[in-house]
Amino acid sequence: MPKHEPILLKNMSQPGYTGTLAEYEKTGGYQALKKIFGKVSPADVTQLVIKSGLRGRGGAGFPTGVKWGFLPKDYQGPRYLCCNADESEPGTFKDRQLIERDPHQILEGIVLTCYAIGAETAYIYIRGEFVLGARILEEAIGEARRVGYIGKNIQGTGLTVEVWVHRGAGAYICGEETALLESLEGKRGLPRVKPPFPATHGLYNKPTVVNNVETLANLPHIINRGPEWFAAIGSPPKSTGTRIFCVSGHVKRPGNYEVPMGITFRELIYEHAGGMRSDKPLKAFIPGGASAPFLTPDHLDVKMDFESVAAAGSMLGSGGVTIMEEGTSMVWAALRLMEFFYHESCGKCSPCREGSSWLVQTMRRIVAKRGRAQDLETLTDLCKNIAGRTVCAFGDAEVAPIMSTLKHWRPEYIALIHEAEVSNLLRPQPAAARH
Amino acid sequence: MSDTTTGTVRLTIDGIEITVPKDTLVIEAARRVGVMIPHFCYHPKLKPDANCRMCLVEIEKMPKLQTSCSTVATDGMSVRTATTVVNDAHKSVLEFILANHPLDCPVCDQGGKCDLQDFSHEYTATGSRFIETKRVFQKEYFSPVIETEMNRCVQCLRCVRYCDEVMDVKALAPAGRGTMTEIKAFGPHPLDCEFCGGCVQICPVGAITSRLSMYEYRPWMLKRVDTICQYCGDGCQITVQTKDNQLIEVNSSYGAGRNNGDLCARGFFGFHATSHPDRLTKPLIRRNGVLVETTWEEALEYTAQQISRLKQTHGADAFGGLVSSRCTNEDLYLFQKFMRLVIGTNNLDSSARYGHINAVQAMRRVQGTHRWTVTFEDIVDADVLLLVGTSITETNPVAGLRVKEAVKKRQARLFTIEATEPGIDSISNITNLSQQHVGVPTAQFGDALLGLLKAVVDGRHIDPAMQNRSSAYVASLSEALGKLNWTDIEAATGTARDSFLEMAGAIAQERRVVVLAGQDILRSAGGYGACLTLLDLLVLTGKLTEPGCGLAALAEENNDQGAVEMGAVAELLPGALSAAAADTRATLARAWKAELPSAPGATLKEMIDKARAGQLKAMVVVGENPVGSLPAHMDVAGALRSLELLICQELFLTETAVLAHVVLPAAAPPEKTGTWTNEEGHVQAIRPAIEPAGESRADWEILSVLSMLLGTPSAYGESKEVLKEIRSVIPGYGLLGPAPTPPKVDPAAVERYVTGDYRQDLAPRYTLAPRRPKAEGAAWLMRLTQSLFHSGKLSTRAKGLLQLEERAVLRMNRAEAGRLGIADGDRVRVSNPRGELTTTVKLVERVPPGTVWFPDHFAQQASELFDCTIDPVTKVPTFRTASVSIVKVG
Amino acid sequence: MLVEKYKSEIESLLARYPVRRSALIPLLYLAQRETGYITEAAMIEIAGILKLTPPQVYETVTFYTMLNLKQVGTFHIQVCKSLMCALVGSDTLIGWIQTRLGIGPGETTPDGAFTLSTVECLAACGTGPMMQINDDYYERLTEEKLDRILSDLKSTGSSALKTGPFMWPEPLAPKGETSVR
Repeated sequence: MPKHEPILLKNMSQPGYTGTLAEYEKTGGYQALKKIFGKVSPADVTQLVIKSGLRGRGGAGFPTGVKWGFLPKDYQGPRYLCCNADESEPGTFKDRQLIERDPHQILEGIVLTCYAIGAETAYIYIRGEFVLGARILEEAIGEARRVGYIGKNIQGTGLTVEVWVHRGAGAYICGEETALLESLEGKRGLPRVKPPFPATHGLYNKPTVVNNVETLANLPHIINRGPEWFAAIGSPPKSTGTRIFCVSGHVKRPGNYEVPMGITFRELIYEHAGGMRSDKPLKAFIPGGASAPFLTPDHLDVKMDFESVAAAGSMLGSGGVTIMEEGTSMVWAALRLMEFFYHESCGKCSPCREGSSWLVQTMRRIVAKRGRAQDLETLTDLCKNIAGRTVCAFGDAEVAPIMSTLKHWRPEYIALIHEAEVSNLLRPQPAAARH
Repeated sequence: MSDTTTGTVRLTIDGIEITVPKDTLVIEAARRVGVMIPHFCYHPKLKPDANCRMCLVEIEKMPKLQTSCSTVATDGMSVRTATTVVNDAHKSVLEFILANHPLDCPVCDQGGKCDLQDFSHEYTATGSRFIETKRVFQKEYFSPVIETEMNRCVQCLRCVRYCDEVMDVKALAPAGRGTMTEIKAFGPHPLDCEFCGGCVQICPVGAITSRLSMYEYRPWMLKRVDTICQYCGDGCQITVQTKDNQLIEVNSSYGAGRNNGDLCARGFFGFHATSHPDRLTKPLIRRNGVLVETTWEEALEYTAQQISRLKQTHGADAFGGLVSSRCTNEDLYLFQKFMRLVIGTNNLDSSARYGHINAVQAMRRVQGTHRWTVTFEDIVDADVLLLVGTSITETNPVAGLRVKEAVKKRQARLFTIEATEPGIDSISNITNLSQQHVGVPTAQFGDALLGLLKAVVDGRHIDPAMQNRSSAYVASLSEALGKLNWTDIEAATGTARDSFLEMAGAIAQERRVVVLAGQDILRSAGGYGACLTLLDLLVLTGKLTEPGCGLAALAEENNDQGAVEMGAVAELLPGALSAAAADTRATLARAWKAELPSAPGATLKEMIDKARAGQLKAMVVVGENPVGSLPAHMDVAGALRSLELLICQELFLTETAVLAHVVLPAAAPPEKTGTWTNEEGHVQAIRPAIEPAGESRADWEILSVLSMLLGTPSAYGESKEVLKEIRSVIPGYGLLGPAPTPPKVDPAAVERYVTGDYRQDLAPRYTLAPRRPKAEGAAWLMRLTQSLFHSGKLSTRAKGLLQLEERAVLRMNRAEAGRLGIADGDRVRVSNPRGELTTTVKLVERVPPGTVWFPDHFAQQASELFDCTIDPVTKVPTFRTASVSIVKVG
Repeated sequence: MLVEKYKSEIESLLARYPVRRSALIPLLYLAQRETGYITEAAMIEIAGILKLTPPQVYETVTFYTMLNLKQVGTFHIQVCKSLMCALVGSDTLIGWIQTRLGIGPGETTPDGAFTLSTVECLAACGTGPMMQINDDYYERLTEEKLDRILSDLKSTGSSALKTGPFMWPEPLAPKGETSVR
């Protein structure tokens, strides 16, 4: 299989590349705006992006150009672009690499997007833990501002785009676009009721587009080399372009791999990531971050595009692929993820808030060999009562690990419960109560 | 089919078709067809939050269940609220909420009126399969009158949202994340807010409850009576709940009354004033210099004898009468009838004299009505609101809620002219919401109004029709305003010309303009003139007669408006008709079948002066406490001591009652029937919730019996009969029930005013106030102000309110105090040539630098410091500002 | 008082947003930088700057993990315990730290030098087990590396073993040089 030429990771793959403005320019950076300004209208840029088939790289996979098109056409006031750099989905670490290694690629994408949607202000909402990333972005913005790539009258075009870095403070839920907006507004990061959508009522109730870091990083390339070029890569027409998949877990070479969409999991895991780290075979893998249902070795030949993974009963999500070898307890793994969701639940809606607390306690008991027979039915029921009933997708996400591990590895749950029952029988019984 | 012209949509709910206005939520549409969709976090007064997920319904063509509280009804929508799927969803949401909910029903005050209980009963199986550990919050002290038990909280956030969206106080904070979210104030500190009780009322479970009635009852044990709050002029409807003749709790139902179910601290927590142990329960008579208990027979017979004797010896005009505006219309009517008919004098006055009469006289003069021409609904619907000297949050908090609603929900433009500065404190500050704020001392209110009027002229905002029809009036005003220069106005008000121009422009150009004038201006020296000038503003801009426009004068006491309408003031007869006019006297005489006194009567201060001079020999004082209310230097006590007969009808033995020869115990509002007229002019019925304390009787009853003992037949069996007479004497009066249409401006009155009447006092009104140099060493301006937690002196008997504010503290600007090295809680001595006072300092944001505020309700302590001026026309006494010096004491 | 000490920084922060409240988290970070945690006085001051009530500031502080209401040690060790790191030994890492410093998750060493917390995914899943200490990441940890980091911090206050800018698999080395790490 020929190794595909990286696009997003290309610059940083060059020896000695440190991501400064000068280096980025040398590789052809910051030329895209000149290409289109005055020649291609903002509405047409949106059409270009639709044509390229670019879909959001944050997890939801919504067609980017279509999302831009939802902004009201004749609205006169301010519009905003928010770059979602709140990468917190367990298993995902691609945005961090893009930010720390090639910040200008993202900044150029931001400027192009602002041109297309008519925004003059962009906020990069970066998770608080990315202290280095925030600093690198601030420096890059400073560099770009000094030579006029950001700010007023960009490159003599009269266009204004101000870009600000806004650090989050440790809340996974702020990666959800409306929770991100709430957090940017200085409030608790609770997701908003949709509709209305950010396209019409976003930041400060003004039309807003929220895009992931990787999504934005694709923009310069789409503009420079044309939507047709982009659409030909990967798995057209539904899953075009490359994706940076983050491989973690029990593999020889975990890390970020930029590959065209449509390669199989087997290729990614065994050819790019070097296969299993030991002689233990693969037992399970998560295809798209903690919110994606677990898959089994039977799914290794599923293609890594949005539709195929959905058809297999999971989701491509954030692109975080986690490999688990034989010997990993699936119940334990589901519990670990449930702890994550319990900790990160914002608490707004009843099913998720109370459900996550209930689910995590039941799972803890089962793993600690204090489970009971009725627990499995309770777990299933609770998960069914949470999914689809919550304000945001967090509810669907938090039940994915338990539902999928119950589906594929139910015997492990049963075994743990059986062990609990046995140990209960063997435990000395308390003296019978006197009546 | 959606009707875009009138904006309606048609949808089906459980098979029932209904047409609703556009933008109606599905849950509201369901309510209209009688389907109650269960919910916790939804509330019609709040923006939908859709967090409880209880209101899920099936909507055709939508794959997932939808929250009906956040879904807008669209044309052709088909909603199902009771399918198996929906019921299972309700069950599951309840199961989730009950998972962490403690089994507190036996000890929870909400038991019996709890949404969670009710829904559980309707939807849930009896068993619970939750065998994990419930999350536990340690119980913490929250506040003196509001209690929280966070284990019961269902995190619907209604309390937080109400405190933010409706009250604009933002004192409640959901702290933490996930299932460990709990409602707190600021960190570990107790709650510090307006204590309106809104969070207690709106909490669907027992997480937030009233401490005042904790553990005292179960809802089904209580008797409920709908009546009106006895404190301020807003006239809120309250539900008084009692058990075994004890006052237990007060709340207000959603949508009820003029207040729409909202209350303030006084209404919610102030009801115990009635049951204070010091209530007078038996008549008292002075024997050998000491007041001793006696029987009604002895007290009333003695009173009647003395009145007869003094009337024979000295004549009717040796009598004076004072009545409180807290009395019912029936009490007030019978009081003035007693004074005018039985005694035969016009020497009578009520506490409307303290300020409200200023507004009423101005309205009568210019627009020919004694009532507002607008309502609370007009305030909510206004495009522009101008607040002048209202201190609305402290004095008329529920009217203040209507202003907040207009600004926050309907984007009305708010302009404020107040003796307050914007700033965030623990109670809301209406000036924070205003687009233009003029912050001036009360003495400069007039100057600010002149600035506004000058801007109307300079900005060419005079209504063209006005210009044509009343050119002389317009010219006179323009000329007078032309003599003022902007430099002086800007210096006097600290506000730039452009701000005035912006305000004037908005007032002229927007459609619905309501001007609210409150106690700070009505009780200040130029109060009457200021009301006239505000009416000039509306006249000049052509707004006075437009629908949805008008002057709204806020009233401090609950029946100030009624006092004026019942003629309980020297210069007015019932119907607020002139006592000086022979024809109105004649009409009333016909109705009463007797002669009316024609000599003009003495007003409040005039009676005090006459008493001191020996010209007044006797006074009947009903519910009023002039010794406590008026400044010390007036020596009201000395004046009253020179009376030969002082009769007091009172709830408590006040500073005035203690000087009386006879004290008659009066029934308190929760103990009697009657009507009150709120500031809008709505006549509302009050109903008794408990028996009168001891042997106390309603004021009108006492006066009725006295009348009979004095030979004037006055047989009223019930207060209804008094009301019947009032209705016959004042035709068209007193329609009870939902708000009658407000009166319209009388064109004849306006015509009279603009064709010449305005000239009487044009010059003094249109002159800037003289700039008084600061008195030597007296660097501060001290003001008597209204506290949100009290009303007059009556509220200082309410144990709930005393827990919120039990004594007077001097409020000072935080930043200024910091500069002077004065810290919160420091003791200071306040003094001027008249007297001194030592008190404690409290630092707040809103007090303007150079000013300190002292609460009116404890003013007896500061009474030495103030002197008193009287308005020449309306005889309103003004005694609420003084120059003082302040020194920190050890 | 923050306003006196950081006047220009505060002004430039406020200038970034059309609505003042957006500057809340940046101002809270400022206050936390100053005292290590967010004091009540800081919350009251920030409320004044942003025209909020103190409860509004308080509710935001309690929502976010990284804003501390209590003092933490000089070095705040935050070990990722999410599944992906757990698969490659984060629990063992926590055990090593417990052994060496004598503190468990949520505890601080008696001298106030180290606080240990377990946190959720830090977006370093391919390079676990890992931890964040104050502003810096330390990835691909082994027992030896941990020892070296702790002793570095104790002696000089910083460690060369901190990682970033991030790229994994490693970037190609410039010609003629050995690979970076």
